[in-house]
This record gives sequence, structure tokens and C-alpha cells, in this order.
Amino acid sequence: MYANHYDGGASHFHGGGFMPSQATQTPDQAGSSKTRSSTTSTTVPLTIKQITEAYHLNDERADFLIDGVEPSLVKLLGRVLNKAERVTDVSFLLDDGTGSIEVTRWVSDSFDTDEMTKIENGMYVVLIGKLKAFQGKRHIGAHAVRPVQDFNQITLHFMECIHAHLDNSRKATAVPATTSAMNDMRAYQTLNVGTGASGDIREVVLSVFQEPASLARENGLHVNEIIRRLGLQEQKIREAIEYHVEVGNIYSTIDDDHYKSACNG
Amino acid sequence: MDTSSPTVFVNGELLKLYMGRRVRTVVQVIRNEGGAVVGQSTDNQQLTVKGPNQSVPVMHFMEVIGVADGPQSIRAEICTDFGSNFDMASYNGLCKLANGQFKNLFL
Repeated sequence: MYANHYDGGASHFHGGGFMPSQATQTPDQAGSSKTRSSTTSTTVPLTIKQITEAYHLNDERADFLIDGVEPSLVKLLGRVLNKAERVTDVSFLLDDGTGSIEVTRWVSDSFDTDEMTKIENGMYVVLIGKLKAFQGKRHIGAHAVRPVQDFNQITLHFMECIHAHLDNSRKATAVPATTSAMNDMRAYQTLNVGTGASGDIREVVLSVFQEPASLARENGLHVNEIIRRLGLQEQKIREAIEYHVEVGNIYSTIDDDHYKSACNG
Repeated sequence: MDTSSPTVFVNGELLKLYMGRRVRTVVQVIRNEGGAVVGQSTDNQQLTVKGPNQSVPVMHFMEVIGVADGPQSIRAEICTDFGSNFDMASYNGLCKLANGQFKNLFL
């Protein structure tokens, strides 16, 4: 399954089989996957408090949004309580100090049952599973449950939760390109201001561009031609041209001095 | 065990902020005094832990989950032997983060 053993050292740290199979890098980040493959599932380490506060997207699909990420799998660490063994599944309550959640582990073969017999009430365990909701109540369908042997793992897990939270929050607030929005804003504002003189100039300038003769010109009109035609100040004409370029009425052709109307007349 | 209320990660310094509330911390066992254990917290303060489960050997690390009933005392509900290999400095850092900038993830 994880056959890429060319990296000898890293193969020790495959995370006990919980790393997505495409992961060949960062073996020390077991559980909080940042793999680049687009087909891997995301495993996010979480506190139960984060789960209870997660935004539930859709009741049928049971998708949750945490820090802007829809985790496919979650990693939790806590104490086992109220373990109940049934024929097809084992269920228990997981309490990690920030909250508690019901966990179900379906047992279909001896590997599963062996794994679960080791788990006892009061024990610290790490689990990887899927977050689900049923009739408003959230619970976990565990894929794997393992006892914690080195208690430093507790500190580590919560540090990973903080780290993943920071990482995902930073990505969610990454500034998208706001320049187009700004241009619209500016255009809108100048439109308001454009009553009176400057508004007239703009209209006049635009009408020159939209004359059939102008439209017929492959490279449009040179700014100086407009100036000559209208007899207005170059600065004002350039301002009008700039405005029209912003709102999309005209566009520059061979250089910054030639413009043509974007409309077909 | 009351599973409805969250337990706060504390060190010696933070313990006094959560009087009367359920807290969790790790101490290194210094000595057993009758019904109480004296331990050193992750920030080198001496804490007294009263209650059951006092079977953790000296020099081992012990996790205490209980109610803070004094500025340096906890009435324990659960004690867990964390063995002899535990990083107190990291846990101390976690306590500070969990009560500071990232409190919303924990409480």
C-alpha cells in the first residue's frame, strides 16, 4: 500500500498507516496532513470543543466547516468512558477535557476486535475517524483507535490542534485580489462626482470614440486627436479617457495614447 | 466523572485563576504526605494534591484532574501515572497557549 520505500528513514514514520498513501514528505506531521496531492483526504487534529462549535453545512451530507476547511477525517485524543461492546460495533464516549463526543467503531474482522479489546475505560486513546451528524447530534465513526503509550503525545496533539487551527485560519483570511473591487468602487465614486463639467467632458469624449469613423479605425484614436477635436485641456481629456477605460467603455490599442471604443456603436 | 464541564489546562500560576473549577495539570511527585501528594508543577511551583489514587511513585509525573480548592492545591478526582518521561516545558507552554491566545479552542 505505501510502497514508496526509496526514502528509507521516513518509512518508519508512516504514522501507523494513518497517513494518506500519497504522503511521501513531512513524516513528522502524523495526523495533520498538508500533502499536496489533490486527491488525498484531509486529516485534521481537533479538540472536541472545535467539533461542537463547527459550522454544519448541510444536514444530509453532514459536512462540517472548521476554520474554513472541510475535514474528511479528524484526529482526536482523550479518555475513554462508558465503553459498550456490541456484536457489530464498539462504542464509547471520548472526553478530551474540552468536551465529550460519542464514538462508534465498527468491528468487521478480528483485527478490529483485537484493536478494541485493548481499549479500556479511563484509558487515553488517539483516534482517527469521520465526523458525522445525526438529527443534530454529532458523533464520530472511528476508523482506528490506539492507546496512548507516551503521554507526551497528549501535549503534542493539542499543539497540533493549535498549529492546524492557525494554518487553516491564515489560509482562510488570505487576501484575495481586491483590486477589481477597488476599481469598481472608484468608478462608482467618480460617477457620483461626475456631475457637471467633468461629466459632460466624459460624455463628449465617449461620443467621439463612438462615432462610426472612429470605430472604423483599427487602432482607434490618438489622444491628441481628441484634444484637437474638442479643444479641451489635455489633462481633462486624459481623465475622461481613464474613466472610460476603467468602466470598460474604451480600451487602449497599440499604445497608451491610442484608444478605441469597446462598444460596437 | 462529570463529563459535561471542560477541564482547564493549568500550571501553578494559572491554578489560582480557576478556583473552584475543574482543572487538569501535570506535576512531578516530590513526596507523599499521608493523604496528600506534594508535586512540582510545570512552572516550578509546589502544589498539593489531595484525594484518592496516590499510588504514583516519587519522581514520576502525575496528571491530576480535579477541582482547584486553593491557590496551590487541587482536590483530585482522577490521578494518572504519566511515567518518568514527560516533557514539562512543552506542557507548560501548552497551558499558556490554551489559556491565552487559543482559549477558544479549549474552553
